[in-house]
Amino acid sequence: MTSPIDIEGGGTSVVVDGEPGPETKGEAVKLDGRSPGQLMWLRFRRDRTGVISAYVVGFFFLVGLLAPLIAKLYGKNPYTVYADERPDLFDSAGVPVQPNGGIGGDFWFGLEPGNGYDVFTKLIYGIRTSLMISVAVTVAVVVTGILLGVAAGYLGGRTDYFIGRVIDFLLAFPAQLFFIASMPVVVSLFVSPRDETPTYVRVVALILVQWFLGWMGLGRILRGTALALREREFIEAAKVSGASPWRIIRKEILPNIVTPLLVQATYLLPNFVTAEAGLSFLGVGIVEPTPDWGQMFSKASTQLVMQNDITYMFFPGVSMIIFVVAFNLLGDSVRDAFDPKTAR
Amino acid sequence: MKEDLVLPAPREKSAGADGEPLLEVSGLVKHFPVKGGFPIRRTVGAVQAVDGVDITVHAGESFGLVGESGCGKSTTGRLIARLLEPTGGTITYRGQDISHANRKQLAPIRSEIQMIFQDPYSSLNPRQTVGKIISGPMEINGINPEGGREKRVRELLEIVGLNPEHYNRFPHEFSGGQRQRIGVARALALEPKLIVADEPVSALDVSIQAQVVNLLQKVQRELGIAFVFIAHDLAVVRHFSQRVAVMYLGKIIEVGDRESIYTRPRHPYTHALLSAVPEVNLATDDATARERIRLAGDVPSPISPPSGCRFRTRCWKAQDKCATEEPPLVQISGNREGHLTACHFPEEPTTEARDEDIVLDPALAALEEGTPGPEPAQEA
Repeated sequence: MTSPIDIEGGGTSVVVDGEPGPETKGEAVKLDGRSPGQLMWLRFRRDRTGVISAYVVGFFFLVGLLAPLIAKLYGKNPYTVYADERPDLFDSAGVPVQPNGGIGGDFWFGLEPGNGYDVFTKLIYGIRTSLMISVAVTVAVVVTGILLGVAAGYLGGRTDYFIGRVIDFLLAFPAQLFFIASMPVVVSLFVSPRDETPTYVRVVALILVQWFLGWMGLGRILRGTALALREREFIEAAKVSGASPWRIIRKEILPNIVTPLLVQATYLLPNFVTAEAGLSFLGVGIVEPTPDWGQMFSKASTQLVMQNDITYMFFPGVSMIIFVVAFNLLGDSVRDAFDPKTAR
Repeated sequence: MKEDLVLPAPREKSAGADGEPLLEVSGLVKHFPVKGGFPIRRTVGAVQAVDGVDITVHAGESFGLVGESGCGKSTTGRLIARLLEPTGGTITYRGQDISHANRKQLAPIRSEIQMIFQDPYSSLNPRQTVGKIISGPMEINGINPEGGREKRVRELLEIVGLNPEHYNRFPHEFSGGQRQRIGVARALALEPKLIVADEPVSALDVSIQAQVVNLLQKVQRELGIAFVFIAHDLAVVRHFSQRVAVMYLGKIIEVGDRESIYTRPRHPYTHALLSAVPEVNLATDDATARERIRLAGDVPSPISPPSGCRFRTRCWKAQDKCATEEPPLVQISGNREGHLTACHFPEEPTTEARDEDIVLDPALAALEEGTPGPEPAQEA
């Protein structure tokens, strides 16, 4: 990785006769080329904004992943109703006696007015829930986008026409409205309205609904990329040597769509995080007592919390802004690293 | 390159034009549909890219295909390599009709017909190492050479004049000429009997062109591989090919051995083509002056080609007969054996200067009329 790129090494640099020794090895190592991926990684590492954003994003994922461990070390969990456990901390209306929701050594981010949940554990568990859902949606969208986009682009003709019209049709939907309207419908497909809805059903419904209207943009981009790649001569070269369409897609096209795929995925994920938060805020996503990022906003905007504990809003708000901004900056850096020629 | 480099022995003695035909193309037609109309899109016409082409390529022979841009050379090459489905006609490879064979049926002969592409920047997958690119065809065809595929790839790299240590490099680390060598190595990986080279040097620097052409020539001679060499550079084709066919608007208008085409051409278009080749002549060098023919206009649209002889719209000898009757590709009197020409009124078999230059381009003619007199002052 440290050796300089030796582009015009053709035929002159290594003439080793006899003496296979450590020197030969060194030369061999030097002659290993850098893959486009390695070059991208080198460029990315030079981008300070990108690296810092990557650390921030990584930190959020780590927090989400290790939420149970952190909560254990911290000694609390998000489901404990402190209004019952420690009634001394609350007044008769259920508002923490201490200012700012009772922020202190025991409760770092304070307590939630009303039920008295611990805000810190609630936040990290909320991040965990939101990120899990968003990652699942992103994975589903990426898989769908690859399958349909590459199929449309590579096969062309009728397949392309059909998939293209489906994309047009779905893009015409007002997404946010559709989410709100269809969430209860999707949930009721799984559970009868009279029963208590299990959390996992809501999670699955959220993933399904967002996936259904989320894949078209990526699908279109990948269709375009596949369409452009199909006309390249290396595809014809593969055909001349008798490669099957499946092999061409797998070995020749897929490695070449990694660039737009990664760039788009880094833009999609923060969008899904905010969309999911929006749904939970509106009350059609994750509901109490399951902690969720967006649902904390909805809690913060209730009259009880608004009037008595304005700092409550601060924690989900600031953390989400940092996360979304960092992730979008990361997306920009990934794009810059992958194709340095396009100006922003 | 090492002296003791062992090239695999030619499987067949290159017998030149006398050998049995390796590839026979007869009446090959390729029409691309033109869609149009509203609201229902339908086929409103066809681009007659290739319209009745007959070619015979013998084992170990190098067959050149020349012509203007857009005359169907590349389409013919792609049809032979079966990248395109012919609209009509037959392609016979070693007695086997492959004109409409599908991928499975083609599998056994895929390794015998390979292709070298024009653009070295788009013919190599940027995400694969050189080793992977060259060993890909072997992998697809399940070929396991002695000593492993990697050893074979290194051999091939050495044959095409690259460093075998470049095995793990990526295409973006090479220059155009080196990339084209990689393309040649990939075509050689399957030990083909026929290589369709689609303008293999036209995207390269002139200094690199010679290297690649010499490499191809070496490969052709030492490995006994037959070539269909498509180019618009007449000098390159003359250097490389034993037999040459001249194409115009989807048809072959003249075919013959190199000597016949280059020194005894009969078709007016071949004359025009040859006279357009710039030649470096020293002032003192009083070699016989060459004829001078300047055509006017462009190749007519292949969607609606002219009736009869397709060249008649730009030909200075065209008569009524040319519009009504299509001249057959035959050996006309005065031609040598195997030299076929499709023309009603062939030219003299020479390229020497004629009494009067033929300048069909009105602008050029006007300009030249002005030059002897005191006119140029007016122009300046």
